[in-house]
Amino acid sequence: MHIPDGFIPPNICLAGYALTGGVTWYSLRQINRDHYIQANIPKASLLTAAFFVASLIHIPIPPTSVHLILNGLMGTVLGYYAFPAILIGLFFQAVMFQHGGMSTLGVNALILGAPSIAAYHLFRQRDRLRGEKQLLTSILSFASGAGSLLLSAVMFAILLVTNISPDMDINAERTAIFISLGGYSIQAIVEGVFTVMLISFLEKVKPELLKS
Amino acid sequence: MNKRYFFLTLLVLIAVPKKVLAHGANIEYRETSAITIQAKYDDDTPMAHAQVVIYAPSDRTTPWLKGTTDESGNFTFVPDAEPNNVGDWDVKVRQSGHGDITTIPVTGSKLAQNVTDTQLSATGAGYTSMQKAVMAVSSIWGFVGTALFFSRSKSYK
Repeated sequence: MHIPDGFIPPNICLAGYALTGGVTWYSLRQINRDHYIQANIPKASLLTAAFFVASLIHIPIPPTSVHLILNGLMGTVLGYYAFPAILIGLFFQAVMFQHGGMSTLGVNALILGAPSIAAYHLFRQRDRLRGEKQLLTSILSFASGAGSLLLSAVMFAILLVTNISPDMDINAERTAIFISLGGYSIQAIVEGVFTVMLISFLEKVKPELLKS
Repeated sequence: MNKRYFFLTLLVLIAVPKKVLAHGANIEYRETSAITIQAKYDDDTPMAHAQVVIYAPSDRTTPWLKGTTDESGNFTFVPDAEPNNVGDWDVKVRQSGHGDITTIPVTGSKLAQNVTDTQLSATGAGYTSMQKAVMAVSSIWGFVGTALFFSRSKSYK
């Protein structure tokens, strides 16, 4: 779900960078207000490593292959730390493996990072809602993991569909993008289940990690 | 009578080759050099039926050729030998938002001699898997090292 160089026009790339700059600034300000920076940075750093490696592990879902993105998981566990973490992870992927591109880094960071912040706010509802705690945690972590991936996929698809270069066969490309959305919804379920597993594991082993 | 048969035979003999000529096809051949690209995802699965758009050096904005890759991600085209088309040919391959642009340099003399086989992968940069593994491991160590640095015990301060 990384847009490579040259697939979207330069003005959108610039807008992506501008928005990413704004969101990064806001996230850093939120982080600066955090009382547990010392404890949270190692968490963010380790999850950045996981995010970076996850893109190298491919799961074949025809017609393309997908890889775990884990942006929902990052948002759920890291909160606002997720956005800079995703930005750094994307930068490493773009530079080392040409996965995504430098000109589209801003746009890609928004596509993956914004839903992760949404996932964080969704998961935080756990403290407000009443109900059986364990069930609520499972439902919310699944919704965060799967929902943020779906949100990313939809943003990705909208951006691509509205920016298909006129040189391409627009209908064929549009169909291909819509088919790939089907693949992403399977991936969303996989990521949701993964998030539930990890969150319930952390809840048992180190519940203080999930306190925001 | 004999004379008549003779002319008839003669006529047939003359007519037949003309008839064959009318049905004949003429095949000429000349040697050109084609460029074959192969588009793969970075996990080595071919990009089958992906769209290919090729831009000639003389005009970079309008496509020179459009097509789709075959089952195994291959696409072959013959760059024309016009003098203003010597230079960098851009080849764009795209499928459902995945794809890449590669530049194939074509020089006048090389065009006649070499068959350029450029491997174009959707995301990879032509690193071997060993190189990729070392890069991944060293980056991970960077992240883990950062984590260790910030979680160091206070007694060491």
